Amino acid sequence: MPPRVVIFSLASDFGCQVQLTNMEDELLEVLGLIDLGYWQLASSGEVPESYDVAVIEGAVTTDEHVELLARVRKEARRVIAIGACACTGGIAGLAYGLDLEERFASVYGADAPVARGRRLPASVASVIDVDYHVPGCPIDPRDFVDVLSRVLLGLSDKHPDDPMCAICKIKENICLLDKGEPCLGLVTDGGCQARCVSLGMPCKGCRGLSPAANLDAARAIYRAKGLDPALLDRTLDLYNSAREAV
Amino acid sequence: MSTITAEHVARIEGHGTITVDVEDRRVTDVHMDIVEPARFFESMVVGRRYDEIPVITSRICGICSPTHTVTALKAVEAVMGIQVSERTELLRRLLIYGSFMQNHATHLYVFAAPDFVGLPSVFPLAQSAPDVLHRALKIKKAGNSLTTLIGGRPVHPITAVLGGFSSEPSRDALEEMREVLIDLVQDAEETVRLFASFDVPDFAMDGDMLALVSDGDYAIYDGVTASFAAGWRRPVEEYREFISETVVGHSNAKHSTVGGRSFMVGALARLNLSGDELMPRAGAVMAEIGLKLPCENSFYNNLAQAVELVDACERCIGYLDQLIEDGGTSAPIAFTVRSGTGIAATEAPRGTVYHSYTFDDAGIVIAGDIITPTAQNLSNLDSDMRLFAPGIVDLARESFLLEMEKLVRAYDLCLSCSVH
Repeated sequence: MPPRVVIFSLASDFGCQVQLTNMEDELLEVLGLIDLGYWQLASSGEVPESYDVAVIEGAVTTDEHVELLARVRKEARRVIAIGACACTGGIAGLAYGLDLEERFASVYGADAPVARGRRLPASVASVIDVDYHVPGCPIDPRDFVDVLSRVLLGLSDKHPDDPMCAICKIKENICLLDKGEPCLGLVTDGGCQARCVSLGMPCKGCRGLSPAANLDAARAIYRAKGLDPALLDRTLDLYNSAREAV
Repeated sequence: MSTITAEHVARIEGHGTITVDVEDRRVTDVHMDIVEPARFFESMVVGRRYDEIPVITSRICGICSPTHTVTALKAVEAVMGIQVSERTELLRRLLIYGSFMQNHATHLYVFAAPDFVGLPSVFPLAQSAPDVLHRALKIKKAGNSLTTLIGGRPVHPITAVLGGFSSEPSRDALEEMREVLIDLVQDAEETVRLFASFDVPDFAMDGDMLALVSDGDYAIYDGVTASFAAGWRRPVEEYREFISETVVGHSNAKHSTVGGRSFMVGALARLNLSGDELMPRAGAVMAEIGLKLPCENSFYNNLAQAVELVDACERCIGYLDQLIEDGGTSAPIAFTVRSGTGIAATEAPRGTVYHSYTFDDAGIVIAGDIITPTAQNLSNLDSDMRLFAPGIVDLARESFLLEMEKLVRAYDLCLSCSVH
């Protein structure tokens, strides 16, 4: 029996789910390996009572999300978090430092009718245990296929050993720090093929902090290259503001 | 009184619920409840630097991220006094059109088509009509290839920066893309024929339609806002004056009106306002299937998207020719940071998107305002549902909801965009 897989989205731009549909050449093959139980974006139908694997996209921003995740963790044998929002809070996490009441008032006015059950943004991983991570904003669908294969084969989550910087060295990219651009490759989780730097854009940390990251050493390197180390922390905030669930 | 609901309607981007109140077989109220939570982009951009704004606001929407990126770039450039090169503009147009192809193919085949062939999703077509599914995936893939070629990946472009592009595709890659699109025109035409073969209800909306227009162009990249019903044209910088946004109880997304009236944006609005500017084969296939303008039937937004697919292929072949033949550069232009307010609008696949940012002397955002296509459409959708529901209220519950969902899907809603 193929495992029954459900796909849920919380607060997100649906971009990672769109990336799942974007693997046009492999999509049907992947669907052939699983029993797709629920995917609101692509198919009509109710959430099944039981399932084996849950794929979660998006950040936690409401009480309803927290309740859903509790049910998911109880039911699913394996939980896969996809994308920066689910893994680190992502861009949605930028609202982490803001005052909730003030934010609602600034967007909806003082008598906000829709303020019920709201929360500060948090990653899925800070609310429930997550078994597998597909980081990035957006995810690379090949990473998802890789993780799904690991789930199907019963292998554990895999983590890149090196930060992003190491990939640039292998690809012989010109270092953007040397050009005075605040690149986060020094501290960001690797595994992305250095896509942004290879196209001339500095890394903004969308895959989250590498376990090997040494922020103090990275700040010292910024200083040595004539860059303001505050730029490192400021840029890191883009995808990594939602530190813990509150 | 009884209430009929379809919760978390499937095959739309985002979370929304249709609610219909019925009393003695009469519809007493009907609306689309937007339960998708807001992420507060307008307050998130405050305090961030000018160059980060396109990166942040691209994340409003996974499908129309190229349009959000380009619109934010244009708004920032308006403040900093940056005039981009013709080559940069061509590349940006291609980036936007890549998202049109990807969006329209996804919406038409993955979201909308299953309703008309009685399937829960597009996937069973792998067995029953593999050629249709392969056509769907082929168009979608071509759109993604185009955004990847120009922007570096299908979702959230990397290379589009203030004043230009950080990297450009090779001439060989441009030529290869050109061949893909030449081959794709016929698939786009088949899409028009397929959607013309689906029965849709006879219906006329009550609201107005708005889209960008630009003389001699099927406006996508720039232009002024035009009203279909009232006939006015106004600079996009005045959008706050002609579009009113109000907070409504049943929706996390605000509702928009123009002159006290609901309105529709998107492919049908564009077709009605710029139909004369269509490329030859798009115009020809529209004539072939007998689609006459003006058309105020909201269900025809699907068909309008299909026509735009043909137009997009033809137009992009021309843009690629220009890029291949003409020289010029898209290298980012140097500029000095200035304070002030910048406003820009672009046509996203689902309609006009407006971005406005105010910067201080250091280029830090002190205020941001964004109106997305779906936020503009929701009031008109509610109005359409109120007009449409009474005529089908005698149908069995499932058929009734299917017809309502067809109307909802015709709008190609993006609820994550609408609440942003």
